[in-house]
Amino acid sequence: MISLSPEVAKINNAISPLELTPEQTALEMKELNLYYGKKQALYNIDMKIPKGKVTAFIGPSGCGKSTLLRCINRMNDLVDICRVEGQILLEGKNIYDKDVDVASLRQNVGMVFQRPNPFPKSIYENVVYGLRIQGVNDKRRLDEIVETSLRKAALWEEVKDRLNDSAFGLSGGQQQRLVIARAIAIEPKVLLLDEPTSALDPISTLTIEELINDLKETYTVVIVTHNMQQAARVSNYAAFMFMGELIEYSDTNQLFTTPTKKKTEDYITGRYG
Amino acid sequence: MDLKIDKHISGQFNKELEDMLSHVLDMGGIVEQQISQALDAISNFDSKLAQKIIAEDERINAYELLIDEECARVIAKRQPAAVDLRMILAIAKIIADLERIGDETCRMVKAAQEHFKKDERQFLVDLDHMGQQVLNMFKAVLDSLARMDSAAAYEVYKMDSKIDKSYEAITRQLMTYMMEDPRAIPRIMDVMWATRSLERIGDRCQNISEHVIYLIKGKDVRHTASDKIEAVLASRN
Repeated sequence: MISLSPEVAKINNAISPLELTPEQTALEMKELNLYYGKKQALYNIDMKIPKGKVTAFIGPSGCGKSTLLRCINRMNDLVDICRVEGQILLEGKNIYDKDVDVASLRQNVGMVFQRPNPFPKSIYENVVYGLRIQGVNDKRRLDEIVETSLRKAALWEEVKDRLNDSAFGLSGGQQQRLVIARAIAIEPKVLLLDEPTSALDPISTLTIEELINDLKETYTVVIVTHNMQQAARVSNYAAFMFMGELIEYSDTNQLFTTPTKKKTEDYITGRYG
Repeated sequence: MDLKIDKHISGQFNKELEDMLSHVLDMGGIVEQQISQALDAISNFDSKLAQKIIAEDERINAYELLIDEECARVIAKRQPAAVDLRMILAIAKIIADLERIGDETCRMVKAAQEHFKKDERQFLVDLDHMGQQVLNMFKAVLDSLARMDSAAAYEVYKMDSKIDKSYEAITRQLMTYMMEDPRAIPRIMDVMWATRSLERIGDRCQNISEHVIYLIKGKDVRHTASDKIEAVLASRN
């Protein structure tokens, strides 16, 4: 067999998500079951989400991918009839333990939604919103964080001269990047993206995808997307879900070239089962 | 895994893949006929038929261009994944091999255009036997593609060693003739080149069988030992 240089060999030998060590794992779901009233929406989800990588959840509508994503920062707590069993460990600590403060959990696990949702405030105030809630008021520190967050969100150059203008004056793509800047201003460990580009045009979509790639240097990113090609482009790991079950979870290159389950194959190739 | 190409939600995509595959099989059919006619042309010293074969190669080239274009179009428009992607990659390589088999066939029939004296015709006796072996191998590999049968493709893969043995035997025989009568060397060299072309066609068939296994099993078995290929074939996927 031909031997390749180690860097080249690495591309073809991503670590299987099953073999992640605790240090490489950002999040771990253990026997996670979720019910909306009597209806079960997630079945025995066991998975490890790698640190500093992009993990995508794909699957047809209603398969539970958004539900699973929302479990990670306990957004489902807001739904009265929702009941969660099992564990989600964030760096070893179960986020569903009774002593967990949900507000501080959400500082560690930021979320960006399908439609950009800037607050009716200036660009500047949008970015520092979370920090002000935390009680940070030092102008110099806030200025600094605004610049670094907007730079990380690849928006700084476009808005640096109008930080005090309303955030609603930005385009959809810019608003989405602003929301990402707002999410990363409080330095979360994990960033959850729920179909972040489905309301955007193709160019803004590519800008966001490029941004996601940069963000993984600093954060663990989990993305839900309906767009399979997007999942293939941006993620390192991909999980295919179907009817509330995790069907297949592997590194993205493998999932999109040689999936091992027929259901996955049918879905990603656009076949009916 | 079930390899039905006609199960896409998009009927148009089904049709594009079906058309592509049927063009590959058409192209393979022409190449098969070319090899078979080339063997006839050589054993009958039929230079007219040889000319026809050389002219027909244009059609094979045209098919290669057509199918390449179809591959590019499907990739651009459909972003194929998994088995669809592998099928397109495999087809792109298979047609390159088919086209080269066509070229080898043209090279081979040049022997039929030379004037062999009566006593020189003995040089060609063994060529026909090896030619039939190669023709069978070609038919079998095309069949394995049409039926998406990886086990059959592996049978073709193994046939190549027999072809190699025939090639060695003929080479040795021809060398004996050369030593016996150096004046016959130019004629013998013609036969030598034809034999060489047949051997190359066998190699190309083996390549195609590797692409078929890749397409079905999702594992690249080029440059792989036989026992490992057998393990791939035994795997469920």
